[in-house]
Amino acid sequence: MDNDIALTAHLMRRAGFSATRDELERYTAQGYEATVEELLNPGDPQVMPEDIIRRLHSSLDEGPEGAAAKWLYRMITTRCPLEEKMPLFWHGLFATAYSKTNNSRSILNQFEMFRRMGLGSFKDLLAELSRDPAMIFWLDNNDNHDGAVNENYGRELLELFAMGVGNYTEQDVKEAARAFTGWTLGNVDYMRVKANKDSFSPFGRIAWHFQYDAADHDDGVKTFLGETGQFDGEDIVEIIARQPAAARFLCGRLFQFFAADEVDAEGERVIDEMTRSYFESGYEVRSVLRTLFNSAYFKSERARFARVKNPVELVVGAIRQAGDFRSPSLAIEQVASICFYMGQGIMRPPSVEGWHEGEEWIESGALIERVNFVSEELSNVDLPGVRRIIERVAASNGATMTPDELVERCLDMLGPVEVSEDTREVLTSYAGRLGNIDLGSREPGGREDRRVADLLGLIGSTREFQMA
Amino acid sequence: MAGLDYVKTIGMISAGGRFTAGRGFTGPYALAISGDGRIYVVNRSQIRICVCDFEEAWLGSFSDGPGMDDGQLYLPTDMAFDSQDRLYVTDEHQHRVSMFDTEGEYLGRWGEHGGGEGQLNGPSGIAFDAEDNAYVVDQHNHRVQKLTRDGEYVSEWGGHGGGEGQFDMPWGIEVDSAGYVHVADWRNDRVQKFTPDGEFVSQLGESGGGEGQLNRPADVAVDSEGYVYVADWGNERVQLFDPDGEFQGLSRGQATPTKWTEDFFESNPDERDTRAIANMYPDLPEHLNDPYRASSQTEPFFWEPVNIHVDTEDRLYVTESRRHRFQVFRRA
Repeated sequence: MDNDIALTAHLMRRAGFSATRDELERYTAQGYEATVEELLNPGDPQVMPEDIIRRLHSSLDEGPEGAAAKWLYRMITTRCPLEEKMPLFWHGLFATAYSKTNNSRSILNQFEMFRRMGLGSFKDLLAELSRDPAMIFWLDNNDNHDGAVNENYGRELLELFAMGVGNYTEQDVKEAARAFTGWTLGNVDYMRVKANKDSFSPFGRIAWHFQYDAADHDDGVKTFLGETGQFDGEDIVEIIARQPAAARFLCGRLFQFFAADEVDAEGERVIDEMTRSYFESGYEVRSVLRTLFNSAYFKSERARFARVKNPVELVVGAIRQAGDFRSPSLAIEQVASICFYMGQGIMRPPSVEGWHEGEEWIESGALIERVNFVSEELSNVDLPGVRRIIERVAASNGATMTPDELVERCLDMLGPVEVSEDTREVLTSYAGRLGNIDLGSREPGGREDRRVADLLGLIGSTREFQMA
Repeated sequence: MAGLDYVKTIGMISAGGRFTAGRGFTGPYALAISGDGRIYVVNRSQIRICVCDFEEAWLGSFSDGPGMDDGQLYLPTDMAFDSQDRLYVTDEHQHRVSMFDTEGEYLGRWGEHGGGEGQLNGPSGIAFDAEDNAYVVDQHNHRVQKLTRDGEYVSEWGGHGGGEGQFDMPWGIEVDSAGYVHVADWRNDRVQKFTPDGEFVSQLGESGGGEGQLNRPADVAVDSEGYVYVADWGNERVQLFDPDGEFQGLSRGQATPTKWTEDFFESNPDERDTRAIANMYPDLPEHLNDPYRASSQTEPFFWEPVNIHVDTEDRLYVTESRRHRFQVFRRA
């Protein structure tokens, strides 16, 4: 196996949503570090144009599936996959749900903010998050008033979003909350009534906007994380961003999302390096990820296929490889539902803590959904990506292939995917039911193509394909 | 210079789920007016054709979907009446045109999927001339087909491209009182004018967001004096041009409460009272101030003006799919 392309495939499973063999060859030709830089510095994503989506997929996107669909099109078609992977990371960390907010357009605006700022300064991101209307409503900052503090946002900012338990006091929570008084929504009373009643009337949803209410802001002196001053919310996120605990928290979460579900001693050393990059760069997420992706740990064999793909990674990756949804289709909303049934509904995190990743993705019902979805995508000979894989399998060897050769070639074209001997034995046995295969006489979509596609579908159901 | 005077708004969202038979619209996509002045509105979200009048009386609804059976609709796109008050509905998923009488009785259908004569691929706009010839915009075939009202092929013109007489995913269509055919050439950001036989006459618009520029025009209408109204969908506005194609004015929309919304607020005083103190025209940060996002946050503005229609009194009806209503204007 070509180790360079295997390494590129590993990078694209983690920093993107997997990649086709053609894409992997292009990335590999330009080199690993150049590919990391391309991912970290997105150019023109060449996503499916928004006007085409809005005309041909004219659902109201008022509910979570319709809204999620708009994001899925980007994930499926982008040439800058990390630009879409970052919002998925931030959506898990700063988990905001449709339930309670009942305003998907405002959550889509939050995702756009993650896309715009997600590789930049953590400080700036936290400041913008604190102004984000969906977050304000989700964590009740619109009920946080001068003289009548609601601590919810201040507490989660410290506990779940930026620091972690043990790194702040209850007094810090109260002082942070005071600093965010007056950070609210425009037309807050009307928006609250509509959201609480889940009211579409009279003319549909109205998306939210931020409003700073100076008259409701507590501008008194506060003491926060050992510093004292007349702090506003901007000062709070500035102080948080320079805390070693915040650096450690962010780098640890990035490591677990992109590198490994569990952090071992060697992983701790990588996080140390990431933390150094965090401070040297002025809290820049891009620099932290550069350190991670270029680390020996990340590139090592042991890091590969060591994380369970989250449902969105799995589903979007299979669609990209199969070449499905190259034009808008209402069926994409079913894809959003499938992600939900697998445990990761976009805009539907189980709580403000986000999703529990890793092996928790694999409970029996979800596993069946995962296997069925990938198998159906990869075994569909009508899809252009599947046809392309078959063409490349057919072009690679002589006209006739043994079952061993066919399995090897399909695994290679799908990743490459590295499988255990047991898995390979099962695949070879399946491929060998009808003996050798002669692809020299194949007709597109014909019997031989379907044999190859069935094998691709079976590979999609293996434990290894379900891992990133 | 002419402009657009606001007249009134009609509509509101209907209740969802099993209550869809009630008054209101959901994702309205096109509007047509019968000879006796009844207003027919086809809806895409909860699919049906609703009927009301200018005084906002609710007159019921018919057809349903999504479905492929006779009389059902799937992705209805446009509607037009012929001279005999038969209502024709294009459906870009079914690739056909369904016909109803003014009482909602299904009369038949024509068209099938394909690229040949009389075949359709994503039909969108439809309009009739004085002889009851139908002009159907054949979106994905990038052409206009002229057919008899029974769907018999007469002629066609177009082809994919940006040159004169070519189209890129055209959408709405209008036949003016002189018989000229105007086509909203959606992805070419222009409106083209043709003779009844498809000879190119002129065009208006160019890509952009300035006055007289267009961003994905969805529909076009022409009044009795030849003034041209364009649903500038991507710019979330309506523009008015004089008969020579000179820009005259525009509107972002200024919807106001309707009789139906007043009834709603009567029984929902919490929404009425908090709305009364809300600023419905907020100042927005730059990143939310493109036309689409501004319209999502500014309820009186047009949001997805997909269809425009001029009635016999030269009143302009602008149907907004995302706001479940239509706004009525008159040329100043």
